[in-house]
Amino acid sequence: MNVVKIAWRNVWRNKRRSGVTIAAMTLALLVEVLYSGLVVGYMDGMERDLLDLEIGDVQIHANDYLERPSIYSAIESPNALITQIEAQGFMAAPRQLAGALAAGEESSAGVALRGIVVELEAKVSSIGTAVAEGEWLDPNDPQGVVLGRRLARTLAVKPGDELVLLTQAYDGSMAHDLFSVRGILKGIADGTDRSAVLMTEGSFRQLMEFPEAAHQIIVRRPEGSDLDATAAVLRGIAPELDVKTWKELMPLVASMFESTRGMIVVIFLVVYLAIAILVLNAMLMAVFERVREFGILKAIGFGPFRVFGLIVIEAGIQTAVALVVGLLLALPGMWYLSRYGIDVGTLGGLSVMGLAMPPVWNGIYTLDTIAVPIFLLILIVLIAVLYPALKAALIEPVKAMHHQ
Amino acid sequence: MNAPNGPVVELKEITKIYSQGEIDVHALNGLDLTIRRGEFVALCGPSGSGKTTALNLIGALDKPTSGEVWLEGERLSTLSRQQLSHLRRDRIGFVFQAFNLIPVLTAYENAESVLALQGCPATERRDRVMSLLTEVGLKGMEDRRPHELSGGQQQRVAIVRAIASEPAVVLADEPTANVDSETADKLIEIMAQLNQDRGITFIFSTHDTRVMERARRLIRLVDGRISSDSSTAAT
Ligand SMILES: Nc1ncnc2c1ncn2[C@@H]1O[C@H](COP(=O)(O)OP(=O)(O)O)[C@@H](O)[C@H]1O
Ligand SMILES: [Mg+2]
Repeated sequence: MNVVKIAWRNVWRNKRRSGVTIAAMTLALLVEVLYSGLVVGYMDGMERDLLDLEIGDVQIHANDYLERPSIYSAIESPNALITQIEAQGFMAAPRQLAGALAAGEESSAGVALRGIVVELEAKVSSIGTAVAEGEWLDPNDPQGVVLGRRLARTLAVKPGDELVLLTQAYDGSMAHDLFSVRGILKGIADGTDRSAVLMTEGSFRQLMEFPEAAHQIIVRRPEGSDLDATAAVLRGIAPELDVKTWKELMPLVASMFESTRGMIVVIFLVVYLAIAILVLNAMLMAVFERVREFGILKAIGFGPFRVFGLIVIEAGIQTAVALVVGLLLALPGMWYLSRYGIDVGTLGGLSVMGLAMPPVWNGIYTLDTIAVPIFLLILIVLIAVLYPALKAALIEPVKAMHHQ
Repeated sequence: MNAPNGPVVELKEITKIYSQGEIDVHALNGLDLTIRRGEFVALCGPSGSGKTTALNLIGALDKPTSGEVWLEGERLSTLSRQQLSHLRRDRIGFVFQAFNLIPVLTAYENAESVLALQGCPATERRDRVMSLLTEVGLKGMEDRRPHELSGGQQQRVAIVRAIASEPAVVLADEPTANVDSETADKLIEIMAQLNQDRGITFIFSTHDTRVMERARRLIRLVDGRISSDSSTAAT
């Protein structure tokens, strides 16, 4: 006999109970699908921003630079190295780094100077598009500098204002010069926000009397290539230098990304636990009020497996309906969240683990992000229905007939 | 075992004790009984005399405390749960006192359910079930759900379900207890007819004297023992 047919009709026999069960599963699925895509989108966005705006995929320094940053621990002839790196299919750009004191009209602050080659930097970073006020660096404007957001606030400067930079040059002499604020960045990450002063490579070398060298080479890999494999190739090219992936550079942030993604599953399980209890209860009721019927089914030759299957299929039908309805309802939400996202307004730019929170959270909805909540829902229902189904499967026909 | 008048059901020294808390209820006390192919047997006796218990044991719905039940030469105590459910499906037809039918299935679907479980092809199922439904006077009602049928009509559907697969024996526990006497007459008439025309073995319990009169063998139970066992030639 067609067990699916019986199951289907049984589901609609108690419309209210099945309706509530389905509605709850639908709602849970809807929330979880939208939520997981949003968290994934948010995490991916943070990660992408971090790599794009700040650290790149891999960084190369002179061997002792990261332990004891010093203007003298530099990579000699960075251009030759960059040519070699590019020959392997990667993008690379040099940065020169030094500490300095910056003074605005009213206040002063310690700053981190960063000299960059504007055209090369554009290949490895989108920081040039992250200017909130004013404009990005221009090689034709050697006195123009771009400041981190909070630094600009500390110094109380805005684009067009003047800035004096004071530092010790490469040759040990005091160096100082007058610059003009060309642009101010939006929130990127704590360090940059608080202290970055970006200038062209030419200006840096002139101010610092710096030779042709770099402290840091930022490397980006093509999409889809492996991070560790990239680092391995680079170590082959520059065995005497310090090659580190972004995960090695920022292990805490990297593990936060991992664990937040893991947290999604935990939150799923909490929500689904409620669903499991609901399903368990609904199916137990469905079994207990039909004890006599199971007795009849058993008497006419339904085996325990078939009865078990009947109950599982009944739960399965409700789950399937919830999946279809839930996903249909989620579609407009997914479309909206991936296209427009949630504008967190003033929360945007707040720092999370030293990273700026993106002002708009866009959901990412791929098979991966949708499949996990679907799979977990099915799993949870299967677990929850196990007991009622077993109960029904093991009903003794005689006892069942005595029932009521 | 397939001899025309061979034994279909044999009960040998059956006892059945239900333990209810402290008290043991002796529902059957050494019951010996042989029922042959084609018999039309009524079990009667006062309430509590063990009729239902005996039918449940024959139908492999329950196990005796001691003694052996044989069905067509097979000893039920040697069969597994799964084998017992196949045996019920293939060799026994059940008609209970009430609430026989699966509420979500139509009269036709209920009637064909045993055949369907056996894997009988749909067209053959249709032929057999429709002709039986017509025979018991339910033509035109095959698409009704049980709640749209009277008690007597429901019992007729149950009878069709029980006999459609041509089981070795049909067990009917007080099939007429919940219908009026006219309907009871009609139901017993239908069963007698099927017994005569198709040679199906029927064992039913009753305490309706009018129904007993129709039986060709009347077994009276008292306190879980046979107190009398008489055969008549009457139809
Ligand atoms: N499941 C059971 N548990 C305990 N006692 C039972 C059970 N089924 C039947 N009995 C008892 O066994 C005796 C025989 O019952 P039953 O076979 O139902 O008699 P009948 O069908 O002739 O009325 C009665 O005393 C009844 O109370
Ligand atoms: Mg009884």
